[in-house]
Amino acid sequence: MDQLLSAIFAGTSRGAIYALVALGIVLVWRGAGVINFAQMGQAMFSTYVASNLIMHGTSYWVAFVVALIVGTVLGAAVDLLVMRPLSGKRSSAMMASPAMRGTIPVIASLGILGLLQSAAGMIWAAEERGFPTPVNSLGLSINGNVMPFTAFDIFVIGVVLFTLFVTTIFFQKTGMGLAMRASALNPEVARLSGIRTSSVRTLSWAISGAASSLAGLLVTPSANLSPNTLDLVLIIGFTATVIGGLDSLPGGVIGGFILGLVISFINVYDSPSDVFLAILAFLLLVLLVRPQGLLGSKEVRRV
Amino acid sequence: MLKIENLVTEYGAVKALDGVSFTAVQGKITTVIGANGAGKSTLLRTISGLERAKSGTISWADNSLIGKAPESIVRTGIAHVPEGHAVISQLTVAENIEMGALFRRRKHRTDVKQAIEEVYELFPRLAERNKQLAGSLSGGERQMLAISRALVSRPQLLLLDEPSLGLAPLVVEQIIQTVNDLCRKSGLTVLLVEQNANTALAVADYGVLLSLGKVVANLPAAELKADASLRAAYLGY
Amino acid sequence: MLFFWVIFFLGKVFDPYNQGQLSVVLMFFIGILSITFLTGLSGQISLGQGALMAVGGYACALGVLNFGFNYWQSIIFSVLASLVAGLILGITAARLTGPYLAGTTLVIALAIPSLANRFESVFGGDVGLSVDFGNPPQWLVNATGEIGFEQWQLFATLPFASVALFVALNLIKSRTGRSWRAVRDHEIAASLTGINVQRMKIFTFVVASGFAGLAGAMYGLRGIVGPSVYPISLSLSLLTGAVLGGLRSVEGAFIGSVIVVFLPDLIEKVTGNWQLAPQIGNFLPAMVSSLLLILTVVLNPAGVAGAIHHRRSRHK
Repeated sequence: MDQLLSAIFAGTSRGAIYALVALGIVLVWRGAGVINFAQMGQAMFSTYVASNLIMHGTSYWVAFVVALIVGTVLGAAVDLLVMRPLSGKRSSAMMASPAMRGTIPVIASLGILGLLQSAAGMIWAAEERGFPTPVNSLGLSINGNVMPFTAFDIFVIGVVLFTLFVTTIFFQKTGMGLAMRASALNPEVARLSGIRTSSVRTLSWAISGAASSLAGLLVTPSANLSPNTLDLVLIIGFTATVIGGLDSLPGGVIGGFILGLVISFINVYDSPSDVFLAILAFLLLVLLVRPQGLLGSKEVRRV
Repeated sequence: MLKIENLVTEYGAVKALDGVSFTAVQGKITTVIGANGAGKSTLLRTISGLERAKSGTISWADNSLIGKAPESIVRTGIAHVPEGHAVISQLTVAENIEMGALFRRRKHRTDVKQAIEEVYELFPRLAERNKQLAGSLSGGERQMLAISRALVSRPQLLLLDEPSLGLAPLVVEQIIQTVNDLCRKSGLTVLLVEQNANTALAVADYGVLLSLGKVVANLPAAELKADASLRAAYLGY
Repeated sequence: MLFFWVIFFLGKVFDPYNQGQLSVVLMFFIGILSITFLTGLSGQISLGQGALMAVGGYACALGVLNFGFNYWQSIIFSVLASLVAGLILGITAARLTGPYLAGTTLVIALAIPSLANRFESVFGGDVGLSVDFGNPPQWLVNATGEIGFEQWQLFATLPFASVALFVALNLIKSRTGRSWRAVRDHEIAASLTGINVQRMKIFTFVVASGFAGLAGAMYGLRGIVGPSVYPISLSLSLLTGAVLGGLRSVEGAFIGSVIVVFLPDLIEKVTGNWQLAPQIGNFLPAMVSSLLLILTVVLNPAGVAGAIHHRRSRHK
């Protein structure tokens, strides 16, 4: 029984992180039509900055905030420096076909990922480092009984739920949130309504950057920090969005939690090396039955 | 006052607008009519900034609109209601309307509230349905919504693209009358593109007849309506 | 044909290290061709070509070790195996587009090495299986004199690369090539002209996998076939090479493979005397190639080959 509970909690806590990553991916996908593979690279970079600060004596929370700021800035920078010039190239032959128009920014994001990883390697060398947690990460004791989850797990789940809550309020109840939704759904009408869609797009990138930094900060304590550690997280987060439906924020979040649980169960009841096979099987199953993901919307094709 | 001179817009090698010149008189309804493919929609899209003109001038209140982005042009007091997909189906009626006023909210908070109220008074059906998704509205209601979205930005110039498209005659009548009343009461300048020349010429003060990207006639509406030869040649009846 | 003799000549002239590099160029060339077909000509993105190379590599190794094929037969076997893998991949993935496709290929790319670990007894787990090209046949030695190990690697790879080049050029010119381009540029229009889009997409995957498998087999014949030989960065390198050289042409694929293989050497030569700290030195090639990738995509998406074509057409 304990094993089951422990698997569920670990799965939910990891799932929360994947949900956060998925959030970042869907934000940029809806806001800019790009899959940002560099996302966790940004997270890794900002976590390194935080780690550096902590190593020099700064408090965890200050470093936390700084990392979030770095992530936000990196996100905006990617849009301003790379993506905007790219979309200015609409007229060149390469970008003419819709298939390529989606592919090329993805390739660019892979390049940015490589850049960030090699930069991190250069600045901080590739040794693995630990990363502290603000609360105890060992088994939690309540009234003398050891619980199958840790205070850190609760912290993670709490932070993610809070973030999701804030994000939902932002999108549904604020003017800027409305502007972002409108720009993603129908940029032409949005522009005719006076919405500066390019600024809104940069904001999507920035928010996505913040979300991924947050995910990086939350996941790193349990996996050491090195230029490549977060690759796996990105891949699983991305799979979560595909499963949940790429254009659906709630879908991505649900996908994240589902995958977290699936992986946790495989880890506990089967062997860790089967994880990818399980993910693949799950992914194929979902896509076979619903190619647009669980909550995704069917594409409207204009001839 | 909107003044257009020698406007040329190209789609690849095709000149959709080939040297269009005319003036839209302040506070009056000018209708742009012509057969399909004459360039009417392109004209509106070029004015509102969705299409880039190859050459020519567009001056609005003594400022040039050429090269400006649509979101900036809206801020100069021009609102464009494009044909077809002019509302966002996945947002509610209220959100669609709110969207049109977003850019004014910071400076004109009270006036924005006022504008939204006025638009609900103008189209009570929208007030009834204001929490519904725009996609669930009927064609006529959607057109009303699109016009509302434009109106809450308090424009001085309204660009209306084929409001009658796909709508029943009674509904079209209602909408056109509402726009007409609005124009007479508030001094709104209207540039109305219409396939249905009859309906348009019934309310318009001036008419511009386009054919293959060129202005063939630019006359007071009554004269245009009366000219049988023009009608036969370009409008087919 | 010209290609064949030029490389042959270079093979005699280069020193052993560069001979080895040149053979890797050829292998990458074939691998990158798979991306040229899939992405450049047909518009589908796959992040798993490296894994397909692994399939080829493993098939070849198994062929040699378990089935006792000699290396010619093994290579053919591995191509067949990858064609099958491509078929499976194609059927699964052809219904998907854009990011869904990218994601699925990515997960597949990660799942295949897991498979290797799962069935350790067959696939040799982390360590992998060792195979190599064997010794050059006597008649060749008689004809051209002593042949070193890397040189033999090069000569053995060369005929396959030439065949691949030949097949590629013909495919592009053929009706298949035109159909690919039609599907890439406007799927709906293409289907209206009677092209069975689904089948075309699957076919593309099959062909691309065949090429990737061939590349992988030869890559493995350099000595080892194992998960560390076909990491996820391999897929990335293939993609980088394709983009840098030019996604849409065979020349681009070749230029790309040259760049990808020789870039680290070039960087070393330039910075060798600069006394860089090891951490910088280690990551410099990756940084340079990432920067090049970004710059190419933003400034000149058609790659080097595209720029050459552009210049040539301007001077007409």
